[in-house]
Amino acid sequence: MPEAAEHREDVLRVEHVSKRFGPVTALRDINLRLGKGEVLGLLGDNGAGKSTLMKILAGFQKPDEGRVVVKGEEVVFRDVGHARSLGIDCVYQDLALVNELDVVQNMFLKREKVRRPLALLAKREMRAATREALDEIGINIPRLDVPVARLSGGQRQAIAVARTVTSDADIVLLDEPLAAMGAKEGAMILDLVQHLREEGRVSIIMIAHNYVHVLQSCDRVNLIQAGEITFDKPTADTSVEELNEIVVEEYRRARRAALGPTGN
Amino acid sequence: MRRLLTLREGSIVVVTVLAIAYFSVVNDRFLTTANMQTLLPYFAPFAILAVGEVMLMVAGEIDLSIGSVYLFTPFMFYEFHQAGLPLWADLLLSLVCAALIGALNGFLTVFAGISSFIVTLGTLLGVGGLTLIISGAAPVAMPGAEVRTTTETVTKVVNGHHISLQEQVNHVGGFARLFGAGTYSELIWALVAVACLHTVLTSTRWGMYTVAVGGNRHGAAEAGIKVRAIVIRNFVLCAFLAGFVGVLEAVRASSVTPDTAGAAETMFRAVSAAVIGGSLLTGGEGTIVGALLGALFLGILRDGLVLEGVDADYLDFILGLAILVAMCINTYVGRVRKGSGYA
Repeated sequence: MPEAAEHREDVLRVEHVSKRFGPVTALRDINLRLGKGEVLGLLGDNGAGKSTLMKILAGFQKPDEGRVVVKGEEVVFRDVGHARSLGIDCVYQDLALVNELDVVQNMFLKREKVRRPLALLAKREMRAATREALDEIGINIPRLDVPVARLSGGQRQAIAVARTVTSDADIVLLDEPLAAMGAKEGAMILDLVQHLREEGRVSIIMIAHNYVHVLQSCDRVNLIQAGEITFDKPTADTSVEELNEIVVEEYRRARRAALGPTGN
Repeated sequence: MRRLLTLREGSIVVVTVLAIAYFSVVNDRFLTTANMQTLLPYFAPFAILAVGEVMLMVAGEIDLSIGSVYLFTPFMFYEFHQAGLPLWADLLLSLVCAALIGALNGFLTVFAGISSFIVTLGTLLGVGGLTLIISGAAPVAMPGAEVRTTTETVTKVVNGHHISLQEQVNHVGGFARLFGAGTYSELIWALVAVACLHTVLTSTRWGMYTVAVGGNRHGAAEAGIKVRAIVIRNFVLCAFLAGFVGVLEAVRASSVTPDTAGAAETMFRAVSAAVIGGSLLTGGEGTIVGALLGALFLGILRDGLVLEGVDADYLDFILGLAILVAMCINTYVGRVRKGSGYA
């Protein structure tokens, strides 16, 4: 692990975390740190364990072993609500949007504003807050009272990201925010990440597949291979070529192993 | 018109208005106070059952056992009364029994992972059987709903002459009038249930989470919603309402017969009302007001056909056809609303 002085700035640390699903080991021995205001890119093959790691950090799944340290304190997440109360929120790959609910309801799902004493939903207030939040991060969605099923993939993604970054969360996990996005919509999300990075309030872990995007938007990059972090460098010190080489090498090794020692 | 159709309840409103218009034209006795009162028991109990069912259907589940819970609860009411408890305690405890069956349905669905269709099919039969066992398959008089008949002298004015006649007048107690026997008792309860649950579904967290659980269960869990708690809660609510309607109907009739076949039919009518009202069997969408209108539509149809003197043998056949036609109109209007291009 890096020296102790650096730890004080870390908003999130993962130490020796492992997770098995029956016979499958999803995470072997994960060590990872996230500095305050940092954007960390997480790369890795399908099935390498990226999403499992995100789900553990979001409190959705529990690790078998290891520690998670949030803002200097070791925590064992009870559930999603617990992680959220500590400022950690996740945009899942499947977005966790409810098609039948409208934009406002999705924006405020599980953090509704209600009016006492009957705890009725404060619809007007939430609507105004939604409009304001979307305007602030520059997402144009003309009507907020339509079910999100009727919006485009990019708009849906934008809502999922927006609801996370406009909440009180200061540790944001983005699980493949660019998946299934057109070039223009992808650029919109990257702009949003860039905007947050400049602002420096939130720290972000972003899973992505495109090395160019990662090098462009992130401060540091980690590579996860077969349930372990095998690579950790500031983006300034690496390149598309280097990342490519590591991944291709992994593939070659796996292929050689599959073919056996005779090499035929 | 366009504005009306954009409402989720728009299609059932159209269908119900068409039915009212048809029967008013073909039969001048349809729009009379007397007939409206006849209509009430055809629809008010089903409206209450249907709105409970909607809360479950929106959450992506279904409860077929409401028929048996509806039958079982008044017998429990009777048993508690036999044990010497006062009427309000009988009501409360029998409703707790109903709610417990709902909780059982919920637990088996979310923890044993059996589909609610199968679970509640089991409890439909099981609770129906239990009712036969505790009742000994014999009908009982509903406590608190005893009808007392007195002969009174009523003075009327006929052609300017005061004439006194002896008339038979029926009396029921205040408890019975409140819970089912009063002419408008069931209607008022139905409207109260509709108002409360409409508010719950559209304007509370509970309602939002219900839609979320039915629309995207995995996503709802990821967002931190306690999916199991919501499903169990809605099962409890649905069974509670079924038990309540069971008591209302037993009090209204002042007796209850352990008719398990009739109980299943009651359930099917309630589910039909919910579906006709625009709730999806697949979850995520449904409306409380729609279920009320669905029950009203079915009630009007039955009442109107009876009024027209349709042969009893033909009644169910025509009702079945009418439901299919109504659903076709419903779906067509729904497509217009969504603008999906199929219309």
